Amino acid sequence: MEMSPGHFLLARLDDVARWAQSTSVWPLTMGLACCAIEMMTVTSPEYDIARLGSEVFRSSPRQADLMIVSGRVAQKMAPVVKRLYDQMADPKWVISMGACASSGGIFDNYAIVQGVDTIIPVDVYVPGCPPSPDGLLYAVNLIQQQIREGGRGGILARS
Amino acid sequence: MPSTQTPPIAGLAIDPPSLRPPIDDAVIERVEPAGLHARLEELAAGGFTMLLDLGAVDYPQREPRYDVVYHLLKLPATAATVAEAGTPVRMRVLCGVPGERPQLPSATGIWKSADWAEREIYDLFGIVFEGHPDLRRIQMPGDWEGHPLRKDYPLRGPAREKAPRPPFALKSNVQAGTPPTGRTLEALQEQIARVREEGASP
Repeated sequence: MEMSPGHFLLARLDDVARWAQSTSVWPLTMGLACCAIEMMTVTSPEYDIARLGSEVFRSSPRQADLMIVSGRVAQKMAPVVKRLYDQMADPKWVISMGACASSGGIFDNYAIVQGVDTIIPVDVYVPGCPPSPDGLLYAVNLIQQQIREGGRGGILARS
Repeated sequence: MPSTQTPPIAGLAIDPPSLRPPIDDAVIERVEPAGLHARLEELAAGGFTMLLDLGAVDYPQREPRYDVVYHLLKLPATAATVAEAGTPVRMRVLCGVPGERPQLPSATGIWKSADWAEREIYDLFGIVFEGHPDLRRIQMPGDWEGHPLRKDYPLRGPAREKAPRPPFALKSNVQAGTPPTGRTLEALQEQIARVREEGASP
């Protein structure tokens, strides 16, 4: 499409806002366990999450849009995760990365929360132990898709 | 100074530590709770300036039920050579603690590094250290009930102990109640008898 002075586009504000939101989903810098290693790999040149506009890991929950729960949540960590989630500004999204975050995984014991969805709402679950970086990329893709379409909740990212 | 084996507690049917193979990297000594503090002070004054680690073990079928283990290190005060500095003396002090009202004197007055280690033992085993400056839980949340590293603490926690496991976690080929290792009490006692026999005939 050729654009020159005098031409203009018409769009609904909602669509523009969603487009902007979906291409700048900033994750929260929060690594919980070994899945965090794969999460860090996603930012490397090989996987390059910057292509999706999500390379800016924010250290403050006030500036983050996306919480990637990357690993098992200990009972003692649960209130911290909940508080971080509460501190994030709306709209916000959550990826439950890996078996432990989604269900407790192999840690069927007293110390681990059996699924992070028991304390915060989860938008996309990524299976795997740990999931490959592609899996997480796909999950971010699904989040973007959700944002554009305005829906949310309970998607299983199976690549 | 190589030691032979962990000194057993006299008159016990089962004392797992005394059945381990000989360890010769440290001097191992068993102390009664009453004499523990004096002995530790004596060791510290004798050059064991470092408390490397402090842990506890639960032997539920034994009395005293717990063993608290102090790992000590003595470095030459003024090492003349590199070799001398590189050959520290290690020491392990074991102390049996009764299952009813487990209590020991705190070692924080002797080694500062005992602080968090004693809190951890209190948290996970419920052994109270008298004279500790700040005996709170350190690993588990502050309002936690029970002491999870005790052998009688249910793995999935008291609340979920009876909850059914998901179908994929069931092993139909394993009889209910079999410990994961497959070693029952009978098997353990047989093994102990075997070890004792082998030990008796050189």
